[in-house]
Amino acid sequence: MHLTESDNQTYFDKNKAREKICAVWLKAQAKIAKKWLYLAVSAGVINGWMVIIQSAVLAYLLQAIIIEKLPLIVLMPYLWSLVVIFVVRSLCVYAYPVCGFEAGAQVRSSVRQQLFTQFLKQGPSEIKNHQSGSLATVTLEQVDALEHYFSRYLPQQMLVAILPISILIVVMPFNWIVGVIFLITGPLVILFMALVGMGAASATRNQFLAMSRMSGYFLDRLQGLSTLKLFGLAETELSNINTMANGFREKTMAVLRIAFLSSAILEFFSAIAVALVAVYVGLGLLDQIHFGPAVHISLQEALFVLLLAPEFFMPLRQLAINYHDRAAALGASDAILAILEKEPAGQFTSIDIQKPSSHHLIEFIHVSKKYDQRTVLTDINLSIEPGEKVALVGESGAGKTTLINLLLGFEQPTTGRVLLKGETLTQTQSAQQIAWVGQSTYIFHGSIKDNIALAEPTASAERIYEAAVAAGVTEFSIHLSEGLETQVGERGYGLSGGQVQRIALARAFLKKAEIIVLDEPTANLDDSNKALLLAVINQLFKQQTLIIATHDPLVIKIMSRHIKVSQGGIS
Amino acid sequence: MMRDCWFFLKLFKPYTMWLVSGIILSLITSMAAITLLSLSGWFITASAMAGLLSIDGNVLAFNFMLPAAQIRALAIMRTLGRYAERLVTHEATFRVLAQIRSWFFQQLIPLVPGRLALMRSGDLLSRMTADIDALDALYLRLVAPVFVAILGVTAVTIVLATYAPIISIANGLILLVAAVYVPWLFNRLGNEGAERITVLMANYKIRQVDTLQGFADLLANQAYERYSVFLQQFSDRMIHTQRQNNCLTGISSAITFLLSQISFTVVLILAGLLYTENQLTGSEVALVVFCVLASFELVTPLPQALQMLAKTQKSAQRIRQVAKLKPTITEPQQILLLPQSYDLQLSDVCFRYSDQQDWVLKNINVQIPLGTKLAIVGASGSGKTTLLHLIMHYFDPEIGQVALAGYSLSQYGSEPLMTCFGVLSQRSQLFATTIKENLLIAKPDATAKELDAAIKAAGLEKFISYLPEGLNTWVGESGVKVSGGEARRIALARLYLKDAPILILDEPTEGLDSETERDVFQALSVFATKKTIIMVTHRAAGLSLVDKVYRMEQGVLRDYHL
Repeated sequence: MHLTESDNQTYFDKNKAREKICAVWLKAQAKIAKKWLYLAVSAGVINGWMVIIQSAVLAYLLQAIIIEKLPLIVLMPYLWSLVVIFVVRSLCVYAYPVCGFEAGAQVRSSVRQQLFTQFLKQGPSEIKNHQSGSLATVTLEQVDALEHYFSRYLPQQMLVAILPISILIVVMPFNWIVGVIFLITGPLVILFMALVGMGAASATRNQFLAMSRMSGYFLDRLQGLSTLKLFGLAETELSNINTMANGFREKTMAVLRIAFLSSAILEFFSAIAVALVAVYVGLGLLDQIHFGPAVHISLQEALFVLLLAPEFFMPLRQLAINYHDRAAALGASDAILAILEKEPAGQFTSIDIQKPSSHHLIEFIHVSKKYDQRTVLTDINLSIEPGEKVALVGESGAGKTTLINLLLGFEQPTTGRVLLKGETLTQTQSAQQIAWVGQSTYIFHGSIKDNIALAEPTASAERIYEAAVAAGVTEFSIHLSEGLETQVGERGYGLSGGQVQRIALARAFLKKAEIIVLDEPTANLDDSNKALLLAVINQLFKQQTLIIATHDPLVIKIMSRHIKVSQGGIS
Repeated sequence: MMRDCWFFLKLFKPYTMWLVSGIILSLITSMAAITLLSLSGWFITASAMAGLLSIDGNVLAFNFMLPAAQIRALAIMRTLGRYAERLVTHEATFRVLAQIRSWFFQQLIPLVPGRLALMRSGDLLSRMTADIDALDALYLRLVAPVFVAILGVTAVTIVLATYAPIISIANGLILLVAAVYVPWLFNRLGNEGAERITVLMANYKIRQVDTLQGFADLLANQAYERYSVFLQQFSDRMIHTQRQNNCLTGISSAITFLLSQISFTVVLILAGLLYTENQLTGSEVALVVFCVLASFELVTPLPQALQMLAKTQKSAQRIRQVAKLKPTITEPQQILLLPQSYDLQLSDVCFRYSDQQDWVLKNINVQIPLGTKLAIVGASGSGKTTLLHLIMHYFDPEIGQVALAGYSLSQYGSEPLMTCFGVLSQRSQLFATTIKENLLIAKPDATAKELDAAIKAAGLEKFISYLPEGLNTWVGESGVKVSGGEARRIALARLYLKDAPILILDEPTEGLDSETERDVFQALSVFATKKTIIMVTHRAAGLSLVDKVYRMEQGVLRDYHL
């Protein structure tokens, strides 16, 4: 791999910019979980303050036992107060993650809702462009990956701002020199961590592209394994995978070395600060120091500040540990945002001010449809009256399906208007008035009955049965041990194409819509099934307006009106 | 279950040195931290007591230089130790992961493509890579902390015993409860919830996929809202279960914390009593108390480690399940050399994916001598692609046989057999590497001239001329995005380079615009004149390429007349 500096730089910058967008979005999501975040922070703060009190009590106890040699009986109240502090702190240790969890849970719930709404906005043609497995991964795993950012990272970030300052305020009046030690080393730690962080960023920058290319290597070759095998390269690839893994390890370690250095620095400074405090108070106790508050320091005061010294750096160390929660959330939000950011394909650009008037049931007025550069339909004018039996004919790819999608409100025309009963058509409206059976009807997990009653789950058992009989579902369900209650699903496993079609027809029949739209209803059937189905269709939808897209001559024959779609126009 | 983890631990063997050094460094660091705190407590108290004495007028007899130096040394040791420990443990983890990856890849080779074609492979494989990554926890979060805890606690207990056996025993017992009983108890309590969440997640995923795949049907039936409300409720149920699990974790860490504080208080009281009885000096009291306070850091990672264990076990189990699958075909004992002629013959071929399922192919009889050009049309799910898979020997037919030059396919080795077939399908697998490397997969030793010819034949010159780096342009995730049409052309160029006698075309132009479709068929008609073509399609275009068309109807192959 030959990568130039500029390759890396551009790729890194692109990712940096994206990361920023994701970070802003994450911050914005925190708003709805404010209450729980603050509760979690409160638990953390109370715990931190308790540590201060505990240190004071402990320092006193040791002084009393060791120096003043007081009997334990006298000290019982202090021991009891220690116990109370421990209980309160345990409660805080419990409450902190529990409140944090609620914050994360609320955000996750809301993001899931946003995704569901977004799917609706995008419409079926856009959804079909994605693998549903990977979309489902976004709504489940990726959304879950946000949890720790809100439950751990954000509260900890706030604690870093509060607790060290609290300790400083307490220590200052007792021992200003120790306070000054904290005051100097604290910002120094942050400064050096930032410096090392920059070093890490530049190390990452130098190897970013190479690393990101290598990190997906294994999955890439795994998914292409059958192709590799087809070309007889599977065994050769094995050694490549090893080489790549070693390269990846070396490059990652180069970056990690610097990242670890940053936490080593944190540790180093906190150790230095603790050591400085220890030496200062220690020498003070030995009367070796003749300046500052250490001159007459007691063991109690010395232990108190010494116990607080590591606590001063604790929140920062914890934040460093939680830092990868942020990285994980950023990665997940990238995938989530990729969906949420997408402009809905065909939102209503309701520019029609004057109320259109039409006496037709369905009317297409100067309708055109373009996808990017490709024009599918040009200037379609078409009207359909109640009760008509229409066959839409034409080659596949001629635009029949697009025409139907427009009629169903799944897509919006690029120009022109589609009217349903004289009003500009919306998806909701057409869902109420049109029953549609697509080319490949989807069978949901559940019983056959549930699948028939999709549009009207509250339909009575008799009506469902009636629809099942009318569409010929009962002809095969009677052979199943559980009849209409038989469980089906996963692409209608166990059902043949013809059986699926019948369930779809029963679905449409139960809906009692005025308009019935069928898209290639006979495509998946052999001749005998086809004849049966046509008889059923004829029977079921005698009264309704029927629109069938087809290129089956048998179907065309039984329809009274033929509309030919070819090269984006109709005739 | 534990057996699965154990199995992977055995794979770690070549890296024992790394793993052991990681644990030793980690132990040194922890011990340095504990000693540091104990020594500091001792030092301060000793100083205070020496200071008191000097106020009384005695000569200062306390040598503070040595312990102060020791404290500095320990502080540096802790910092450096932590740094070195992280480097070594991560290095070890990466090495181990690389080992597991190549092991897994090797296990998978015989399963591809037959066995894996039966699974939703894309999803499964990304799951697998995540599972393998999850195994890094095995060492980093489980093995290392457990070893460090055992050794560290033992050391602390022994050292404490030299000062005050009773304190050592008290602290040791409480540590034992915190390190063994609490993690064990909460692992048991949490088991049900952990299992429930896995089930809920799997079910949620099924519903979610259902909702997305049946999206149009839901919209048209005004049922999307109902379904999304249902999903939201499902999500709430998952979150509720996670909440319960999280509460348990919270309780367990609160209890561990409380135990550490109880131990501390008990030790404080005991030390106070021993002090009044002159069994401990004042500075030793501080040493012991601080040592106990620090020793709990050894066991804090354990409850989490045990929770991790359940997850890691699941991952290990899943990986092993896949690795344990049997290939769909077995290599013959005596491998037949590839024949000179490439005539295919299918006689009475019947096939189904399992005994419980319906027949996918019913009694197929067809002769395909070299140079035959045939197409199979039919609805999706009628068995067309399965037939292609049988011809390429992904599976053996249940009844009948597929023969090449008169011998059953099962008598040839699967790898040499693959050299007979060139495949173009609706999924053109591009690898994340350069365009050139992607082409060379078909013929690793191809000359520049051959590459040029292939590029020309596939109509790729224009696309490549637009790229500043030409053939060396990287494609995929972190490179140039390649459109579906361009990917298909690259696959076509591979087909050209491989120059196999039998071309398998599975919906070769599905999803392409009409211009690319025309180009693909044009190219095929030129270079495939002497080759066998077996094409599956449901489009009319391309049928001009073939001499004979069959129609597949629910597993039955029939003649078809246009």
